[in-house]
Amino acid sequence: MMRLTGFFIALVVFASVSSCQSDEEIKREQYITEGILVFKNNCANCHQNKGEGLAALYPPIAKSDYLVDKKSVICLIRYGQQGAIVVNGKHYNRPMPAQPQLSDLEVAELITYIYNEWGGETKLTGVKTVTPILDQCKK
Amino acid sequence: MSKQKLLPVLNRLVSFWAKNKASLLLIGLISTLAGCGAGTDKLPILGHREAVTKLVDGKSVTDSVYQSIPDFKFVSQYGDTVMAKTLDNKIYVADFFFTSCPTICPKMKVQLKRVYEKFKGNPNVMLLSHTIDPAHDSVAVLKEFAQNLGVTGQQWLFVTGDRDKIYEIGQNSYMVTAQADSTAPGGVVHSGAFILVDKAKHIRGIYDGTTEAGVNKLMNDMDRLLAEYKL
Repeated sequence: MMRLTGFFIALVVFASVSSCQSDEEIKREQYITEGILVFKNNCANCHQNKGEGLAALYPPIAKSDYLVDKKSVICLIRYGQQGAIVVNGKHYNRPMPAQPQLSDLEVAELITYIYNEWGGETKLTGVKTVTPILDQCKK
Repeated sequence: MSKQKLLPVLNRLVSFWAKNKASLLLIGLISTLAGCGAGTDKLPILGHREAVTKLVDGKSVTDSVYQSIPDFKFVSQYGDTVMAKTLDNKIYVADFFFTSCPTICPKMKVQLKRVYEKFKGNPNVMLLSHTIDPAHDSVAVLKEFAQNLGVTGQQWLFVTGDRDKIYEIGQNSYMVTAQADSTAPGGVVHSGAFILVDKAKHIRGIYDGTTEAGVNKLMNDMDRLLAEYKL
């Protein structure tokens, strides 16, 4: 009898943990779905639908070594980017306009989409992570 | 009409064609020359037309004159003067953009690059991109932009010049929107159209330069237009 109770407790614990994970998973998928839309409407004109960039005009996001510094990516989405940059060893020098119309949540959704699609991540970058970073780099 | 009925009719038409090829071709040629029997596969001439009455040998003759691209004088990414005669004997695609445009221009340039790749080296085809932000888009800026886009040679010219002249030719001759608007992203509203111009400087088609489908149609029509000159 004790063994059976123990088994049920284990089962309940397992079930709650795994449903917890799937809540997280559902949220990640929601972020990605919204992030795709944010990307299409605000980024894809220049960076293209598959994030491949455009010749030497606009740098790629897909497989871009620029993604290593996530904080600066979050900040340049909101505040834009000026001057020459090097992405994957290639030079680009065209200003990126600021995107002040995007809310903190939209930036978080966009970052989650970009990093899951092209940055090798399988996790959520929530709005609670993004907001303090955006506050720090406020210009 | 059902298919069964249609087939014999077609056959008769085909044999009629075979028997009377020479005279039919002659009729076709005459009616084309007369200007009223333009073949159905010909692209239309767009824009306004005027009836102009002239005195020829003492008789008054009325002819329709189609809208055409007037002479202009701009400067290319190489610093050369570009005039209407630079495009003489070419069909060309015109568009309006600016290099710092964050909205539809990159899409247009991706699409126009497809046209460039398809007709690269064809001596009958040119591309003419006008900047509508000449204050920023100097010759040097246009040169760098063209280079970064992967464009070399004289086939695709990026031109700058007097802003009012560019807006005027855009609105009045190419029939597209181009005007300053401080509320629009980038400060200018403009159309995403590509305009196809023939060797007589008549407009033969206007296409959505922001979509793949629109530009597929353009490239198809360019082939049709080029075929008009092959005789």
